[in-house]
Amino acid sequence: MKPSKSFKLALNILRHSKVRSWLTIIGIVIGVASVVAIMSIGTGMQLSLESSLGGLGADIITISPGASRTMGGFRDFGSDQPSASSSTAKNLTIKDIQALKSVENVDIVTGTVSGRGEVYYLAETTTVSITGVDPIAWNEITTSTLSSGRFLGASDYSAVLVGNRLATRSFKQPLSVNRVITIEGASFKIAGILNESGGMMGGGSDSGIIMPIEAARAVLDDVGTDEFDSIIVKVADADLVEQTMSDIDARLMLTRHVTNRTKDYSVSSSVAMQATISSTLESVTLFLGAIAAVSLLVGAVGIANTMFTTVLERTKQIGIMKAIGAKNRDIMMIFMMNSALVGLVGGVIGLVIGSVASLFVAIPMMGMGGRGMGAENVVTPQLLVFTLSIAVGIGIVAGLVPAYRASKLRPVDALRYE
Amino acid sequence: MDKTIIELKDVWKIYQMGQVEVPALRGVDLKISKGEFVAIVGPSGSGKSTMMNLVGCLDLPTKGGIYLDGHNIANLDESKLAQIRGQKIGFVFQQFNLIPNLTALENVMLPLAFQGIDDTVAEAKAMKLLDIVGLGDRVRHLPTQLSGGQMQRVSIARALANDPEVILADEPTGNLDSTTGRFIMNFLGKIHKGDSKTIIMVTHDLNLSKAAEKVVHIKDGKVEKIETIRKRGRE
Repeated sequence: MKPSKSFKLALNILRHSKVRSWLTIIGIVIGVASVVAIMSIGTGMQLSLESSLGGLGADIITISPGASRTMGGFRDFGSDQPSASSSTAKNLTIKDIQALKSVENVDIVTGTVSGRGEVYYLAETTTVSITGVDPIAWNEITTSTLSSGRFLGASDYSAVLVGNRLATRSFKQPLSVNRVITIEGASFKIAGILNESGGMMGGGSDSGIIMPIEAARAVLDDVGTDEFDSIIVKVADADLVEQTMSDIDARLMLTRHVTNRTKDYSVSSSVAMQATISSTLESVTLFLGAIAAVSLLVGAVGIANTMFTTVLERTKQIGIMKAIGAKNRDIMMIFMMNSALVGLVGGVIGLVIGSVASLFVAIPMMGMGGRGMGAENVVTPQLLVFTLSIAVGIGIVAGLVPAYRASKLRPVDALRYE
Repeated sequence: MDKTIIELKDVWKIYQMGQVEVPALRGVDLKISKGEFVAIVGPSGSGKSTMMNLVGCLDLPTKGGIYLDGHNIANLDESKLAQIRGQKIGFVFQQFNLIPNLTALENVMLPLAFQGIDDTVAEAKAMKLLDIVGLGDRVRHLPTQLSGGQMQRVSIARALANDPEVILADEPTGNLDSTTGRFIMNFLGKIHKGDSKTIIMVTHDLNLSKAAEKVVHIKDGKVEKIETIRKRGRE
């Protein structure tokens, strides 16, 4: 028999099998929907994470005070507070910068200070994160781009760069170039407004202010002279970041007279950070996906169960078909296709529901994450093909034994079955 | 003309019922020639259904040979048997045995589909056959929307679909009223004469068997006697 004909017969069986088939399909729908939702949210988070961390280039290493945690130096995550450890730990100083300048593969070394300050503009006040940088070095290092105005120059003192969100959304009147704002009582002229970077690193803080480091020291009260909240290193060869990180680590241990155990600073790079978070996220996604896959497995058992019943119910029809010339292979095909169809229909419906559901999960997360940490759902074509083939595959596997049994029925016995 | 199409040689069929062996057929010998109308008659339990299953390649004998067109089918596997059934034998059952979810047309097309024949070709042929059995206006009806006689006519059309050499009818009028039954019997007779098909009919009704040219009486798993009926029209 032609496969197309087997398919038609299989479809006929499906169309005429009532509630039971639909219940079975729902089992697959739930499994597929949860897998799709979880995987697509996971992929979405990964993508938004990558774009966030891309704010500071791949050739950047950051040294921060405070003992290293797994994500040492990842201090801007969700908050603009300088990491709690910076107040207790011994701060980084100009000596550290000098020490790092001679490390191999190091191109630029520059210190930054950061904190929070009140900004006053046209009778409105808001608190923002302030980063003090060496303009020349920062211009070399940053991946931020200007929306309008110019970058800071060496001679600037009371000029600032304003992040895009701060400029456009924080005040009733949007900030623009050459306007004067008051930060902690001192007046600053806006030199430039940065493009939105989506970044959460200091380099592209969308709702922060970047100003010359001397000005920042004057504005922020808890920053001592010659002390830095972090040191940023740009390497000459980005491929050697890992090596340079350990070189920097070794050099600082030497100059700061600490050991691995008493280390009071941490070295990190956006690349390393990204890899860590990325892999954590990936395993979480995989884990949740595996749980969802269990429900898919339950769905498969459901299909097998229904198929056994269907075969039993249609024993007589199998006998008739065999009597009028159906080969075992034909019967096998019809029931396998029926089972695969249950998988396919469940898979398609599940995909639609899963994609829609992941949208609904993604929207509140977007609100929670704020600041470009938006989790979007990403239903990739690969995910579509993958889940659909899994659903159909499950249908086929679940239908294998019932279909085989059906095909092996002896025509006499099957015909006599009532 | 007297070419043997089906021959049973010392056929035994023994069913295992738990510990007991129940012989349904005990050494049956029978020859059926091409174009014959044979009735197999016997009381229930005589083994006629078993014989019908064996002749129809639905079952295999415990012992002995069944020759269809000179080939022994007793040693064939299920797929080969299915092929033979599909091509050489058309079944007409007492309970019609149509597939309930398929229309009359689809039911008649089914044996053709199993032979791998294109849908368009199969449809044309099925339409023609349904026309012949007088159901040209009922092709899209499901079996449940047809009367018993109509269902049996659909099943006759289905039996003829692959142009088989043998039509096997198992109590073809058993579920029909006498008028409809007569109509079906006439129809089988027409097929027999018109298309010179071999017809083997199993029945317990001696009246029905009068339509046949040869009546094989089965009793206790053996051929009791074979009578040849001379027909006025045939002389």
